[in-house]
Amino acid sequence: MLKSKIFVKKTRAGGVMKIVREHYLRDDIWCGSEVCAECKQESAELQRDACIESNLCTYPHYVIPDTNVVLHQIDVLEDPVIRNVIILQTVLQEVRHRSAPVYKRLKDIIHEKEKHFYTFTNEHHRETFIEREPGESANDRNDRAIRVAAKWYCQHLKTSESDADGLKVVLLTNDQGNKQKAEESGLLVYRCEEYIKSLIGNPELVDRLALSNDDKNEITSSKLLFPEHLPLSKIQAGIKSGSFLQGTFRASRDNYLEATVFIQGDGEESTEILLQGLQNLNRAVYQDVVAVQLLPRDQWVAPSSVVLQDEGAAKDDNEEEEDEEEKALRISAAEAARKPTGKVVGIIKRNWRPFCGMLNASHIKESTRHLFTPADRRIPRIRIETRQASTLAGQRIMVAIDGWPKHSRYPNGHFVRSLGSAGEKDTEQEVLLLEHDVPHQAFSQAVLSFLPEMPWAITPEEMARREDLRSLTVCSVDPPGCTDIDDALHCRELDNGNVEVGVHIADVTHFLRPGNALDKEAANRGTTVYLCGKRIDMVPELLSSNLCSLRSNVERLAFSCIWEMNHKAEILKTRFTKSVINSKASLTYAEAQMRIDDTTMKDDTTNSLRALNKLAKILKRYRIEKGALTLSSLEVRFHMDSETHDPIDLQTKELMETNSMVEEFMLLANISVAQKIYDEFPDCAMLRKHPAPPLSNYDILLKAAKSKDVEIHTDSAKALADSLDMARVEGFPYFNTLLRILATRCMMQAVYFCSGMDTDFHHYGLASPIYTHFTSPIRRYADIIVHRLLAVAIGADKTYPDLMDKQKQSALSNNLNYRHKMSQYAQRASVAFHTQLFFKSRGILNEEGFVLFVRKNAIIVLIPKFGLEGTVFFDTKDKAAPHLVFDEDGPTLKVEQHTFSIFDRVKVTISLDASNIQHQKIRMSLIEPVIAGVSVPAPEVEPLAKKPKLDR
Amino acid sequence: MEIETDVVSNTDGSAKVTLGHTAVLVGIKADIGKPRPMVPNEGYLEFFVDCSANATPEFEGRGGEELGTELSNTLYKVFNNKHSVDLKGLCISAGEHCWVLYVDVLLLQCDGNLYDAISVAIKAALFNTKIPRVHISADEEGGKEIELSDDPYDCMRLNVENVPCIVTLCKVGHRHVVDATLQEKACSVASLIISVTHKGTVTCTRKVGGGSLDPESIFEMTKAGKRVGKALHAPLMKLLQQEESLGKTRQKVGFLG
Repeated sequence: MLKSKIFVKKTRAGGVMKIVREHYLRDDIWCGSEVCAECKQESAELQRDACIESNLCTYPHYVIPDTNVVLHQIDVLEDPVIRNVIILQTVLQEVRHRSAPVYKRLKDIIHEKEKHFYTFTNEHHRETFIEREPGESANDRNDRAIRVAAKWYCQHLKTSESDADGLKVVLLTNDQGNKQKAEESGLLVYRCEEYIKSLIGNPELVDRLALSNDDKNEITSSKLLFPEHLPLSKIQAGIKSGSFLQGTFRASRDNYLEATVFIQGDGEESTEILLQGLQNLNRAVYQDVVAVQLLPRDQWVAPSSVVLQDEGAAKDDNEEEEDEEEKALRISAAEAARKPTGKVVGIIKRNWRPFCGMLNASHIKESTRHLFTPADRRIPRIRIETRQASTLAGQRIMVAIDGWPKHSRYPNGHFVRSLGSAGEKDTEQEVLLLEHDVPHQAFSQAVLSFLPEMPWAITPEEMARREDLRSLTVCSVDPPGCTDIDDALHCRELDNGNVEVGVHIADVTHFLRPGNALDKEAANRGTTVYLCGKRIDMVPELLSSNLCSLRSNVERLAFSCIWEMNHKAEILKTRFTKSVINSKASLTYAEAQMRIDDTTMKDDTTNSLRALNKLAKILKRYRIEKGALTLSSLEVRFHMDSETHDPIDLQTKELMETNSMVEEFMLLANISVAQKIYDEFPDCAMLRKHPAPPLSNYDILLKAAKSKDVEIHTDSAKALADSLDMARVEGFPYFNTLLRILATRCMMQAVYFCSGMDTDFHHYGLASPIYTHFTSPIRRYADIIVHRLLAVAIGADKTYPDLMDKQKQSALSNNLNYRHKMSQYAQRASVAFHTQLFFKSRGILNEEGFVLFVRKNAIIVLIPKFGLEGTVFFDTKDKAAPHLVFDEDGPTLKVEQHTFSIFDRVKVTISLDASNIQHQKIRMSLIEPVIAGVSVPAPEVEPLAKKPKLDR
Repeated sequence: MEIETDVVSNTDGSAKVTLGHTAVLVGIKADIGKPRPMVPNEGYLEFFVDCSANATPEFEGRGGEELGTELSNTLYKVFNNKHSVDLKGLCISAGEHCWVLYVDVLLLQCDGNLYDAISVAIKAALFNTKIPRVHISADEEGGKEIELSDDPYDCMRLNVENVPCIVTLCKVGHRHVVDATLQEKACSVASLIISVTHKGTVTCTRKVGGGSLDPESIFEMTKAGKRVGKALHAPLMKLLQQEESLGKTRQKVGFLG
């Protein structure tokens, strides 16, 4: 049967278009129930004995939630207890339209076999499709469609019921009108809260219920604390006329009463507006998109440098105290220091996600209302209702915000799940991943279904399409313990006296076909995240550690980049090909280094390693002559206890010749590929650029160098590289490394971009006019795109529309840049956490370090031995502050009689400050130089417990 | 004569008329445009007549073009004035936005008396036309934003009471014939086209054909045309209203019925 859907739409040109879609109805859509004998379904999702312990519905039943129930109570629906749910297509479509994240979660639930969720396509069913009636709003129509479908199920199950087990359907809705109408038509209908509360066996589910509007008024006092938010139409009008500004809300980490709004201007210019005081912040939460109004110039203030943390238990009552705190902010500031100040008038888009943190149990024992303190200091505390406060205390939990009424001091939220006890390694790792938005759930069934079947072997057809390079002496060199080997090398002499060098990269795109669930998941994850002792894969392990990993002595698919070079490492010919290789050895950097150094070894692998090493040295020299920078940052390695996985020793990573050897050839391959794909697809090549930093970034480096009478030139990368090489100070061998560390801090972030959207391609750090990432497709998604582009360029694979769409490419590279940045932050946080664990086990340590930065009230000290940075504060809360004089030109800081400047050698004691369980940190205090009243006497270092070192 | 409205779903109004062996399909699309500078507070209609080669083999290639232009010019004269259609009602905001009704006429089959069939079809299609209702929201600076209603049933209807019908009178010998077939038309030397409203007012007359007409017979033909035209309106309106009142329960006939 054919129906048509009609709607009118305004076109971009201002015209009006009437759009007519044909809508086909069918009568072969099955109900999905095991009970039904009428429907000819192959497998039924909904179980026969759909029993759940409930004192409201004592009979077996299926649940049909309406759209708002799904949107607000997705946390409840995700619980394994809730099963046998019918999701109507109407609901699914509305959810998809209203919230993409909830839609994705719902889809994931539906795919889960054990949940027994069934999607009923009621919009295409002949008996449940309804047309919108005159005078009916779109929402009313959808509500009616849901009721009609529920009614249909009701009757359908009744008629097909062979044995009388009384199976029923229950409609869940929070909408009064809808509920009433449903009752009138004889349906079983409950409010979501009613139903969940009736589940006798599972009281904890009640905590997960999001607060709906009617529930809120019981919590809050009647007093209005915040000004009303403007409606969206007014905000839009205001933004258009310029009286309001739109920007992203960024709360201050240190001061809960202060925030800035970042406003993206046209082109390069963008401004920041300061917000101060609760009233002006007006319930905005970090990362929300808000509309702000500027205050008159005479009310502008300067950002305060005070650290303020929201500490009151529940401050609804003692307003006065708060006012005082706000007053403390308004320190009389010089006219020049004042910044544009404004207030939030409305929220354009909330960016709420579930937040990790801990519960502050209420002082009143029986109270079910508690405050929750998020781990991220920029997020306000959240009020939640729970009956399990005693069990949750001391645990890391996740909480979602439901809303922030204007008469409530804190936003209202609900408990989502517990992550485990605070301070435990697994819990903290989970927190770290969640807070950095790293997708780390196990791969879903839909994703896994696209994996090749095991046992896997290269088919003869595939073999015929590829170049057979199995006979070559290929080997891989990687860090120890690496299982996702994505590159391998070979080198051989040619008959004409030249050498052939090949870089072989795992052919991940052979397995990762564009557009399928596996590919989409990988594109979303963007990168593999390496934490200490844990790896969060971008592609499932079967691929990353087995089928794609170029392990030794197995046949693997590869994408090869092969050069013919002369002995001066000049490239004569470049070619790219899909190939099959068989690696002869997978070595660690140290093993490879030993082979090269051991003159008695004369086998093929060692010889080719030596040849590669020789060429790499020449390549590196060329590169440095062109002005590539050698920067330094200390990376640490933990020696883990093999049983408890606790760190037992900490070491800075050592770099060997072989590291640089592999790196040189990877750089060469990346540059060659970048050139090739850009030549072939000037509009849609995915490249990587590293912009030159603005000169002002170098100020700190210049000042630091000057203090030691060393001159640094920053006019070009080459000048910088040369002057860094020249910078040496007698009797201070570590000076050069310190300078390079400082120089690294001056640099900009390298980013992916689409060549059609930008004109500046230069890679500053590598001094290359063009660059991309080709060599690690197992762990980076950008490389996947580059592989696909290159495969199309050499005719080895076919293209697809999204690959050539520069808008989509650009959007993708933005996601990749974001994921990449977040993964780096997560990595750093993980190192920091393990450093803390290490110091916790080691007790107090005395170490020597160098001053890296000088601040107004502190110095930042680097301990080279651990690659650890820490801050030594001179003004502590409980002690009278010593006399401090800060000189910005030096920069130097005079504490009492002693003057600190950059690169000073100091001695500090290191210990773990666990006073705040959510934010444990390394505390450093000064031992040398001795300043009366500031430095501390060197504490006794506890002798190390004699533990056998397992991994040495 | 057979009339069916709402036959093409992706137009805002449509009608199909079969008169003897003549078949015409009229579709009306409403779009937002700029009012003519001389009449800033009125919308307007535009006509396009497509003489497809299906109608008669003569139209093959560019054969129908001349007739098409002639027809659309005449239709423009007859219908695009404020006495026939409430053009002021088509204005959205004076001088800036108005509704433009694009009237597309498709000749499906030609068997004489084209004008009459087309005019009936246009009237029926105008009756059937549903123009989406718009809301104008003005912001503080006076800029105007047009918003469409999201309810497909929320629409504006046209008053077609004054829309005229065309009557063609063919002079054959000393007599004149109304509703001439192709054969009858072939015998005629000249014909007179008059458009008549329901009150019997003549809004437009045109003479077509090579022959000449003497004033007396013109007068006589006008009188006859007025009578025929006036008689045409009432049953037509009744029929249209009847069809409309059936609403969704109406069985659609379409092109295959």
